[in-house]
Amino acid sequence: MTTAAENAQVAKSPSNGGGELKNWLLDRAPFLVACVMLCALVAVYGVLRDGVFSLAELNIDTAAALTLLLAATGQTIVLLRGGIDLSIGGVISLGTVLAATQMGDNPWSATFWVLLVLAAGALVGFVNGVLITVLKLQPFLVTLATWSILSGAALIVLPTDGGALPTAWMAFGNATWLGLSSSVWLLAGLICFWLWFRRSRLGVAIRATGSNERSAFLSGVSPLWINVATYGLSGLFAALAALYLTTQTGAGSPTIGKDYILPSVTAAVIGGLSLFGGRGGLIGTTIGAFILTIIGNLVFVLRVSSYWQPIVSGVILLIAVLASSTAEKSARNSLT
Amino acid sequence: MNLLRNRAIVLAYVGMAVLLALTSIASPGFLAVSHLRSLVVLAAFIGIVALGQTFVIIAGGIDLSVPWVLNCAAVLMTVAAKGQDQPLFWIVPLLLIAGALTGAVNGIGVAMFGVPPIIMTLAMNVILQGGILVYTGGAPPATSPPAIQYLAVGRFAGIPVILILWLVLTALATLLLSKTAFGRYVYAVGTSATVSEFSGVPVRQTIVLVYTLSGFTAALAGMLLTGYTGQAYLGMGDPYLFTSIAAVAIGGASILGGSGHYIGTIAGAFVLTILTGLLPALNLSNGALLIVYGLVILVTVSLSSEAVPTIAAWSGEYFRTAKSLSMRSDHDPN
Repeated sequence: MTTAAENAQVAKSPSNGGGELKNWLLDRAPFLVACVMLCALVAVYGVLRDGVFSLAELNIDTAAALTLLLAATGQTIVLLRGGIDLSIGGVISLGTVLAATQMGDNPWSATFWVLLVLAAGALVGFVNGVLITVLKLQPFLVTLATWSILSGAALIVLPTDGGALPTAWMAFGNATWLGLSSSVWLLAGLICFWLWFRRSRLGVAIRATGSNERSAFLSGVSPLWINVATYGLSGLFAALAALYLTTQTGAGSPTIGKDYILPSVTAAVIGGLSLFGGRGGLIGTTIGAFILTIIGNLVFVLRVSSYWQPIVSGVILLIAVLASSTAEKSARNSLT
Repeated sequence: MNLLRNRAIVLAYVGMAVLLALTSIASPGFLAVSHLRSLVVLAAFIGIVALGQTFVIIAGGIDLSVPWVLNCAAVLMTVAAKGQDQPLFWIVPLLLIAGALTGAVNGIGVAMFGVPPIIMTLAMNVILQGGILVYTGGAPPATSPPAIQYLAVGRFAGIPVILILWLVLTALATLLLSKTAFGRYVYAVGTSATVSEFSGVPVRQTIVLVYTLSGFTAALAGMLLTGYTGQAYLGMGDPYLFTSIAAVAIGGASILGGSGHYIGTIAGAFVLTILTGLLPALNLSNGALLIVYGLVILVTVSLSSEAVPTIAAWSGEYFRTAKSLSMRSDHDPN
């Protein structure tokens, strides 16, 4: 439990000389492994296919990765706090069907429903946070239940895939500015948000709670506030993911959300996040999301069965998590 | 058997009885013998998958690899048997061992390499999914042999054969949990792995064994399920991820480990099955079923939460404090 905090301490204090670099590396080993894997995958992809290192390819891959990344942003925040959020699947399903059935072609109603979907996502997270704190329930079960409830609601709103989005809304998904697509600008915005959030009062409190719940609460962090804020943000980002997804698919789907629940955890863990809380960040998660996207591209370019994609991502996930646990173990050994 | 554990399991059975009563009012004929038989068969599949899941959850883990272990066993069995009974003599034991070994790999990853259970079993699930899809090329495999169909839907002296099988498994699981050293180790590891380690409990072996058991029951359920559906198909295991965990949770086990019992899980499996049967009778859609599932999980888990007595005490205290404050403010405005 204390290793994360102690590592940070050791990495910062210059007192142990030669061990300093080693500790710095060990502390970031899972993240560095993810970077190496992404570079290797991109290199292989670049060899197999022409024009990989171009803006067009960047635009396409970012658009492909962004829905997962938005869902994984919320998941990253929850995992940093030491929880898990399965309800994002329900929020995404419900968000896409609401957008596809209700927006219409009137810009005012479209704006209204965008805001409503975002508010609904945040509200779901708020309810999760309250239930987890007040009733002292396990996040896994609470969010499993809310996921089921929201998926049911999505099926009632729209029983099968369909619906339509305003043309202007779809055009936003394909718009480019200065050669970069809207997805790349959104990614840049997301990274900027994270750089601010990481150092914000709430961001520090979330990581502190994830590292050691008890000492965080003793230092004056309110458990209710932390849970409501983390799950609320997770719901909000899931709603954003749903809205972005509709710009890509142009339709609503009441079952699509479940395809993002476990991959959002996978992206974060591949990016070096520890499921024990307190360690990791959105930069790693971004790399994880791109690794998963590039694997899909590679399977396509190699012309092997698309069924290889889950196998490869499963193996990469295991490599990432083994690197992370090995690094944590040796960090612990170097302390004692 | 402490009080809390009993309370949660009793609640699960009360819920099941209430549901049965409501259902028989809503749709007369629900309690007919023929209908109860089909109810038991459907509950048995959830119950068998949830057996291993119960052990894993009591030991403080979770097994997300259940869907595709089940699916792989189902597909490989039908493909290898080609609708014949004779090859089953070696296929069934072989696939049960393969399922158990898959579970053992999960357990080794969790116990020896410190991989979080969610990640280890999730990775195993997607690898198996990809593997079996590559193997079959996505095409639907062959039909189920007659012997398996007899086990799944046949009757022996009017009793469904699968019910007999399920009762035997229940007896074994109960013996294992309540009467053996292994059972006590499972509860000990789920309560605190560190304390268990220092108390001389073979923590790693216990963890490997519970995942092995879960792989075994998932493979068994997969083969039996082909007898019910007539053939194996891709994706047949997917609903069992949710239902196996939900049955354990409704049955009163804490997802943190250390509490619960397979007896409770059985009530959980029946609650889920009755709900599935209730909603078509009330003309409700699949969406409504998912909403009801979610609410039932929330309610059962909340009722057995340790916070309920605390909240009752808090609210009592709150009203007392509010009362005394208002009384004080009558005397002293400051």
